[in-house]
Amino acid sequence: MNRELNIQAGNGVSQKEKSDKWKSLLLNQNSILILFIVVLGVVVTIINPNFRNPRNIVNILQQISVLGIVSAGVAMLLISGNIDISVGSQISTIGVVMAMIVQKLGNIPLAVVAPILLGATIGVINGIVVVKSKVHSFIISLGFMVVYQGLALFLSHGTAYLMGGKLEFLGRGRIFGYLPVMVLVFFTVVALTHVILRYTKYGRILYAIGGNRTAAYVSGIRTERYIIIAYTVVGTLCGLAALILISQLGAAYPNTGTGYAMDTLAAVIVGGTLITGGKGSALGLLLGVVIFGMISNALNVLNVSAYLRDVVLGLIIISAVTIGRISTERQ
Amino acid sequence: MSKTPVLHIDKVNKAYPGVKALDAVDYDLYTGEVHGLVGENGAGKSTLIEILAGSIRPDSGDIVVDRDAFEHLDPGKSIELGIQTVHQENKLVEGLSVAENIFLYDLKTSNAGFFSLKDCVKETRVLMESLGIDIDPGRRVEQLTPVEKKIVSITKAFSRKARILILDEPTASLDEKGKDILFNVIKDFTKKDLSVIYISHNLGEVFEICNRVTVLKDGRKINTHKIEDIDVDSLIREMIGRSTSSFYHREQTSDTGREGDVYFEVSAYSREGVVRNVSFKVRRGEIFGLGGMVGSGRTELARMIFGLDQRDSGTLIYNGKEISADSPYEAIQNGIGLLTEDRADTGLVLDRPIYENISLVELGKKFLVMLDLPDERKQTGKISERLNIATPSLNQMVRNLSGGNQQKVVLAKWLFANTDIVIFDEPTIGIDVGAKSEIYNLMHELAEAGKILIMISSDTPELTSVSDRVGIMRAGELVKILEGEEITEENVLKHSIGSREKSRT
Repeated sequence: MNRELNIQAGNGVSQKEKSDKWKSLLLNQNSILILFIVVLGVVVTIINPNFRNPRNIVNILQQISVLGIVSAGVAMLLISGNIDISVGSQISTIGVVMAMIVQKLGNIPLAVVAPILLGATIGVINGIVVVKSKVHSFIISLGFMVVYQGLALFLSHGTAYLMGGKLEFLGRGRIFGYLPVMVLVFFTVVALTHVILRYTKYGRILYAIGGNRTAAYVSGIRTERYIIIAYTVVGTLCGLAALILISQLGAAYPNTGTGYAMDTLAAVIVGGTLITGGKGSALGLLLGVVIFGMISNALNVLNVSAYLRDVVLGLIIISAVTIGRISTERQ
Repeated sequence: MSKTPVLHIDKVNKAYPGVKALDAVDYDLYTGEVHGLVGENGAGKSTLIEILAGSIRPDSGDIVVDRDAFEHLDPGKSIELGIQTVHQENKLVEGLSVAENIFLYDLKTSNAGFFSLKDCVKETRVLMESLGIDIDPGRRVEQLTPVEKKIVSITKAFSRKARILILDEPTASLDEKGKDILFNVIKDFTKKDLSVIYISHNLGEVFEICNRVTVLKDGRKINTHKIEDIDVDSLIREMIGRSTSSFYHREQTSDTGREGDVYFEVSAYSREGVVRNVSFKVRRGEIFGLGGMVGSGRTELARMIFGLDQRDSGTLIYNGKEISADSPYEAIQNGIGLLTEDRADTGLVLDRPIYENISLVELGKKFLVMLDLPDERKQTGKISERLNIATPSLNQMVRNLSGGNQQKVVLAKWLFANTDIVIFDEPTIGIDVGAKSEIYNLMHELAEAGKILIMISSDTPELTSVSDRVGIMRAGELVKILEGEEITEENVLKHSIGSREKSRT
């Protein structure tokens, strides 16, 4: 047996790791994101002091709540190595169904429960099809994106259903007259995501599947089940997001959710979640969504044209991902 | 056969960290000759052919083609000199036609610069006629039989003026009839003054087709013989050489009758074309070795037992009861573990920490919602210490560990899961001697503790010294179980290559 040899090898690794430790902390993607948020905040505040007005900050949080809720589900799904680009259409369809229930049946409790259940059902269907078809999830969810978009148009006949002021508390209400209900829901979802990813068997296994699906399967993980659950979580959170969004808007249009698919993916990826799976965190997700909201708001505060907003956002996504990639390569 | 060598390899050396892959190897090849190259796994055959193909540079020595000496070749130069390799595995593009595959690197274009399938097909026809081959160039490769694919690969080699053809295990995917067709093609070629380097584990074939044969062992050339001057047994002896005396020796489990009632039985496992009617029993406290050449169906059998691959038939009996293992999850629930051969692809989540990798199987087994992180740390830490995994922290990503330590993490994972039956597929491949003996000691400990161990190994000394019994697989069948005094390297090799009988019937 050659114990000495191994111990020597161990020391070599240990010294290298020590010297790399603070370096890797500096290069950590989350640190970069926090730095970015601080710099952005300071710069915009200097140009327009209104930016750091508490009212504006609550405003930003309100603007990103729905995005954040959906992104949490998408982030966990991405960690497992799968993707869903149909979330926007899911929100549209669920929203139309919810507003129909309000307008046609007037059943408010049902209008609260139905979006969640419908979302979960959609998620189960998406998950089963992805797993059983063995086709890449991008393609399957592309198909479902079109299906749900069509469904939303079909159900609404292309027009809006009105909420008639029902459920306004969910979308516009504030707790203690200060913290919007939707922001509270957003924070709760992020906190739960953190707990799931860090402290549950389910979260741990998502990372393992995303990191190496075959190795996870060989280790006795029933990978298909976990992936179906991840899609169900996405669907359920789309239901929750639709509930809040439609309550806030006061009406459901067949295209309400358009744009959420790409926005969630962008926010989640900026937040350091690897699109190929196995990497990501709830903190990164929060930071990614906040950056998204801050930039929109800052451009607004700085009187930049709304059309230019997308150009800037797109460029920021590209730079964030490139920087993230370089920093992980250095590590 | 002329007397001038078309190729002469002069004292070629190649070293990798810790291994001398080639040690002053000489080899020559005459025009119109089939010169066999034999040796155990890892003898240096692949390194030698990679050097000829120009993808590896030797550290020293010369490669003389005709009268020109080269210190090294590169792929372009190698092709220019007329050296062509036909690899063991099929490297054709399945969706394209035979003609397109053959001229893939030099597609014919019309005057206007567009790709012309017609010209490709025409050229292929001319080429095939000159070689005496009859396959429709317009057919798509996916419609061909294995032997037709092999012949297309060879034809492809000749699309660029080949003079020296390297055939690496050309019959691996062929049946007896396919082999005969292929041998006829080879014999025709050599009449046209082409020279062939023939690499095969199957000594029967070597004696059938080769004019001379060279034996490599641990990177050294042992000897070159005219085929009529040597017999199979002498050749095998040269391939094994003297066994290294420093090698690990396990005390065989003293009392083989101990707890003899508890055993694991694999019964009638079959899958068409891969594994045929394999049955064996392993007692508690025993290490059952599985030998045979690469491709003999050992890994496939292990994967079928573990529920990772489909099987046509077969049952498992453990402790008197039939158990089912139709998926890894089920296998693990019923007490079977498998350490796969390719740890990076199927054994480890490289970008997750050590402790998460170690606890993965155990985690999958249990029903729970919340993790007990402090307990997990403590338990995985204990196992990591017991296996002497060299790392400053359990948080270290597995990717950053050495090969030996990565293998120990895989081992730790299955140790932690504590399955009664453990199958090891090439447990010490690519790891250093120190880690090797630690792994052997651990296997011995597990056997002593009453586990049932099955070990697949291509390392013959390892197989003979670690196992209590050794089953030998050949062409998908379990042809022999060696016990006690019969467990010698010579016997393992002899039964693996089937020198006494025809290997394919």
